[in-house]
Amino acid sequence: MTIMTLDQIINSLGLTVLTDLKDFKSLTPSYGYTSDLLSCVMSGAKNQGVWVTLQAHNNIVAVAALLELAAVIITEGAMPDETTVAKANEQGITLLSTEKASFYIAGKLWEMGLRDV
Amino acid sequence: MSSEESRKNILVDDSVAENITRVEELAYELKIREVMERNVRTLDSELKMQSAADLFRQQRISGAPVTKNGELIGILSIEDVIRCLVANDMDAPVTRYMTSKVRTIMATDPVVEALKFFVNTGVGRLPVLDEKGNMEGIITKGDLTSGLLFALQRSIQEEELKTYRASHLFEDITSNRTSLILRYVIQPRDFTHGGTASSNIKRALLRMGASPQIARRCGIAAYEAEMNLIIHTTNGGNMRVEIEPHKIALDVFDYGPGIPDIESAMKPGYSTATDSIRELGFGAGMGLVNIARCVDSMKLESVVGKGTRLKMTILLESETVGEGYAGKKEVS
Amino acid sequence: MDVSQLIDLVSGELLNPDADLTRDIKGGCGADLMSDVLASIQPEAVLLTGLCNPQVIRTAQMSDVSAIVIVRGKNPPQETVNLAKEEKIALISSPFGMFELCGRLYQAGLASLEQPVTDGPSEME
Repeated sequence: MTIMTLDQIINSLGLTVLTDLKDFKSLTPSYGYTSDLLSCVMSGAKNQGVWVTLQAHNNIVAVAALLELAAVIITEGAMPDETTVAKANEQGITLLSTEKASFYIAGKLWEMGLRDV
Repeated sequence: MSSEESRKNILVDDSVAENITRVEELAYELKIREVMERNVRTLDSELKMQSAADLFRQQRISGAPVTKNGELIGILSIEDVIRCLVANDMDAPVTRYMTSKVRTIMATDPVVEALKFFVNTGVGRLPVLDEKGNMEGIITKGDLTSGLLFALQRSIQEEELKTYRASHLFEDITSNRTSLILRYVIQPRDFTHGGTASSNIKRALLRMGASPQIARRCGIAAYEAEMNLIIHTTNGGNMRVEIEPHKIALDVFDYGPGIPDIESAMKPGYSTATDSIRELGFGAGMGLVNIARCVDSMKLESVVGKGTRLKMTILLESETVGEGYAGKKEVS
Repeated sequence: MDVSQLIDLVSGELLNPDADLTRDIKGGCGADLMSDVLASIQPEAVLLTGLCNPQVIRTAQMSDVSAIVIVRGKNPPQETVNLAKEEKIALISSPFGMFELCGRLYQAGLASLEQPVTDGPSEME
């Protein structure tokens, strides 16, 4: 599998970083996962993965922290509120945002070499 | 529409594939009794092969059941006649050349049973028995084909007629203001049947000649409102759709619990739904936003402890329903 | 792409065999929140979802979806299959996850058939 950094992902997909900046070049996500159902994510996503969802609800941070995900890409311009962003910073979770739909983002990540298994 | 035109339609229409599926359905729905030949020419067991051959030629038939005292004992086909001719044995009784192990089919069986039999065996005809085991008719491949085609034609015409009637509903009615009102009662927490009312509303509009875009907008608005009643209300609620030639008005109301903060409720992403509702795929806080996108105007009123009323209007500026617009559009 | 090509592409199983397989698929949409699907999906898309309840079919019907792919080999309950039969919308179960399916379908040339939610034509009274 192609190794890519979170920095490459952010730049090539034009994502907006909502949480504190980090050394994104040192982070290399190993999996991709798409779902809007928290129960599916809990059972299906693996650690150090990138989770694509249109959910901006504050529960996503808890799930991401529990699964030790590298980043959450929130699609379709959905905006988490301030407390959600603060909670993400506290837990060291990177929240990214895009106007594009989940289908497009997952399609592009797959094209870049990311897989979900 | 003349029969010539309607036949042309069936051949070239986009719905050809749909029709093929319909034929499959019909093969299960139609019973043998509905397509079989009742007027069966039977051969008496005493009859000579020569007479049978003459009968086949005169009547232009390629086979017939053989009976003895009214009871089916065999079947004679044109192939049997040829065998007999070759053997130069035309004075023999038909019983000598007939097939005596006769496969039969019940009049109450679906047409597909006969189709399977013909395909698997290559046999061309099947005597049809009634519930008591008496021969009631005979069925051939030709009967199947013409029976299915006739039934298909009939079912297409029925749907066309229904759509035609619905799309011209208002045309011949004179009043100061004509409208059609559909009413639905929605039960709380009924996730299994949720959306049935909206589905029926969408279908009715399409039948009445609304464009797919209008039916879609109205369907989505109604569906979101219906799901709101299912998710949020104490005792469910009511939906009332008033269809006029140039306007559709949806009125959705309930008797509690009411929305404390309407301004927040209208914001994208705002939701009071529980996590379990979210896991069902709802409660994303997009419902009212969605409705606002689909309708031309809306009015949301709510009193906590009393209930909520959402009124929506969709205008049909350049088109109408129920006044034959769809029909006219198809012709032009 | 039509529905039968889609079935091949996702190694899927068609759960309602009498569905119309000739329907054209113009693009894709992957989502589990039905309101989002209703808000943004364009007509004639394939809907990829992890949800199995009958509301998936209702949502698909309302938004003129051409086919539904249930991800991760989930088997929807009978009432969902029955509703799909009634509405004649192809209901397909695929062994792949949503991410993989988005990737495969995007590679196969399907565009994202969602438009961002903007302010609608509606005016508040």
